[in-house]
Amino acid sequence: MESIIKRIEKEIAGFTPTGGSEETGIVRATGDGIAEIDGLDNAVMTEMVLFDATLDRTLEEALKDANPVYGLILNLEEDGVRAAILGDATKVYEGMLVRRLGRLLSIPVSDDMIGRVVNPLGEPVDGKGPIPNTKFRPIEREAYGVIDRAPVNVPLHTGIKAIDAMVPIGRGQRELIIGDRGVGKTTIAIDAILNQKNEPKDSRPICIYVAIGQKESKTAKIVAQLAEAGALEYTIVVTAPASSPAAYQFLAPFAGAAIGEHFMEQGKDGLVIYDDLSKQAVAYRQLSLLLRRPPGREAYPGDIFYLHSRLLERAAKLNKELGGGSLTALPIIETQEGDVSAYIPTNVISITDGQIFLLTDLFNKGMRPAIDVGISVSRVGSSAQTKAMKKVSGKIKLELAQFRELEAFMQFSSDLDEGTKKQIDSGRRMTEVLKQGNGAPLAFEMQAAVIFAAINGYFDTFSPETTSAMEKKLQDYLVREGGDVLAAIRSKKEIGEDTEKLLRSLLEKFVERSGK
Amino acid sequence: MKAATYAKAIDRLVEAGTDQAKLAENLLKNLSATGRMKLLPGILGELKAYEARRQAVAPRVEVAHEKDASAALAAAKAEGITAEKAHVNHSLIRGWRARSRGTLVDRSSKRALIDLYRRIAN
Repeated sequence: MESIIKRIEKEIAGFTPTGGSEETGIVRATGDGIAEIDGLDNAVMTEMVLFDATLDRTLEEALKDANPVYGLILNLEEDGVRAAILGDATKVYEGMLVRRLGRLLSIPVSDDMIGRVVNPLGEPVDGKGPIPNTKFRPIEREAYGVIDRAPVNVPLHTGIKAIDAMVPIGRGQRELIIGDRGVGKTTIAIDAILNQKNEPKDSRPICIYVAIGQKESKTAKIVAQLAEAGALEYTIVVTAPASSPAAYQFLAPFAGAAIGEHFMEQGKDGLVIYDDLSKQAVAYRQLSLLLRRPPGREAYPGDIFYLHSRLLERAAKLNKELGGGSLTALPIIETQEGDVSAYIPTNVISITDGQIFLLTDLFNKGMRPAIDVGISVSRVGSSAQTKAMKKVSGKIKLELAQFRELEAFMQFSSDLDEGTKKQIDSGRRMTEVLKQGNGAPLAFEMQAAVIFAAINGYFDTFSPETTSAMEKKLQDYLVREGGDVLAAIRSKKEIGEDTEKLLRSLLEKFVERSGK
Repeated sequence: MKAATYAKAIDRLVEAGTDQAKLAENLLKNLSATGRMKLLPGILGELKAYEARRQAVAPRVEVAHEKDASAALAAAKAEGITAEKAHVNHSLIRGWRARSRGTLVDRSSKRALIDLYRRIAN
C-alpha cells in the first residue's frame, strides 16, 4: 500500500497540466469499423488518432472507461478524413471527439517480446502481463535500399529435405509457400520454426509467426506446439484472428515486419512467416471498399500489389556496416483449385524470390510434404546452400524430373525394359526418401547424409515400398554410430574426402546389417 | 447530377460569400428549366447536414462556472478561438475549454485529472 501511495504522490508532484492547444476532429459518421471525421485538416496518412469519449462525459464516467480506442487514418478527402477503428468500433459514436496523436502508426517492440503472443498493435494477448522495455517503432517504413544490402549467402535451413535440397532458402530471402487449403502450407512454416532449434544459439534466427484471419483455435494449437517443442524460446506470435477487425488483419503482417526489423537492426537474423497473405488481401479489400476506394480486378483496390511489395521488400540481408542482420520472409498464399494464375497469387509470385508449390494430388497420394519440385524454385537460395548440401542435391531434381516423365509413361505401358524399370524404382526410392512427417524437421547434416545415401544407391537393395522405413532406420543408425561424421559435416558444412570415406563405410555397414 | 453534388456546390459558393438569395433563386430556375425539381428535398437534406456539421465544429467556449465566463472568453480569444458567449458545463469541475474547427484548448480540471489518472494507471 505504501509503495502505491508513494507512486501516486510522486506522479502528482511531477504533474504539469498540458492544457495547450491541440488538433481535434469530430466523428461525422461511423459504421463497419470505419469513422468519417470532420476537422482534422492537417492529419497525415497512416497517422494514429484517439477516439476520446471524455469530452461529453462526467469525470466519473470518463475514468470508468479505461481502454482507449485508437484509429488509423487511411483516407484524406476534400471535406474530412476516413479512419479505420482499431478496437471496439461500438464505442465510437457520431459527434465523438477525435484527437490527433501526431505519430504514424507505431507498435511497441522489445527483446522481451520473445515467447509472447501479441496483437497487431503489439499488445500482449497471452495473459502473461505487460511486455517490459518496449520502444515504439513505426509499423510502415521504407525498405532498405540496394546499398544497404548484402548478397544472400547464408542458408536458412527448414529441416525439410525436399526444400533444403531442391528449393534452398537463404537468410534475407522471400520464399513463397503456395497451395490449396489443407495441403500443408502452415506445416512447412511451423517445421521451419521448429528446425531453428537445431541452429547454434548465437546464429539462431528469431522467428515471428504472423497468423492472419486464422481460427483462434488453430493459432492456440500452433502456440502449444511451439511451446511443447521449446520453440517459443525464440519465437513471437502476432495474431489477428478471423474474428478481429479487418484493420487488424491488414496490419498484422506489417507489425510482424516491424518486430523482425527490430532484431535485424541489432545484427540478428529473423524469420517472419505471414500466414496468410490471401486473407490479408481480402481484409484490405474489405477496408478499401468501406473507405469507398474504387475497386479493380476481383474488387481488390488498385494498390494491392504495392501493399504486398512494400511489405515483402522489407525482408533483407543487411551489409556489415549496418550490422549484417537479416530478415527472411516466408509468405503463404492459398490458391483455389490450384489456380496460380489468380490475381493475388501471380502478384506475390512475381514479388518473391521463388516459390514452394504444394499440390493437392501429391498430398492425397501420401507424398508429404506435397511439394511439386517441377515448378518450385528458389531464385537466390542456391548461393546460400552449404557445400555439403550442394554436393548431394545436384542430381535429385533431374532424377525426379526423369522419374515423373517415366511414371506417366508407366501407367499405360506394361512392357518396360530393365533400364527403365531401374530408373523408375530409383525415382520411387528417392520420392520415399524425401517424404517426411510433420513436426519432425531434420538437422542439415542428417539431411545431407540421408540424401548422400539415396543418390549413391545405398537404398537400392531395399524395395521402394520399404525405403521410407529404412530411411528412418538409417537416421537412428547414424545418430547411434555416426556421431563423428555428422559432427564433421555440421562443422565443416561440406562432405570432404575423409568424411565421405567414413560415411561410405558407415552406409555399407548399414546396408550389410539391414540385409541380414 | 445528384442532390449531393448540388448541395456541395451550394455550400462552396456560400462559403465563398455568394449572395444566398440570388443563389437560391438561380438554383430553382435551373432545376425547373432542367426538369429536376424532384431533387429539391434531397438538396435540402444535404444542406441541413452541411449546416449541422458546421455547427458541430463551430467555435464554442465552455466554463465550469458562470463567473469565469468573461475571463475564459478572453483567454480563448488569445488562443485564436472567438465565441460570442460561454456555455456553462459543470462536468469541467474548474477552468474552461474552447473548441473551434480542428482545434481544442482544454484548461479544465477534468482534463488534468483524467491525464493524471491515465499516467498513474498506465
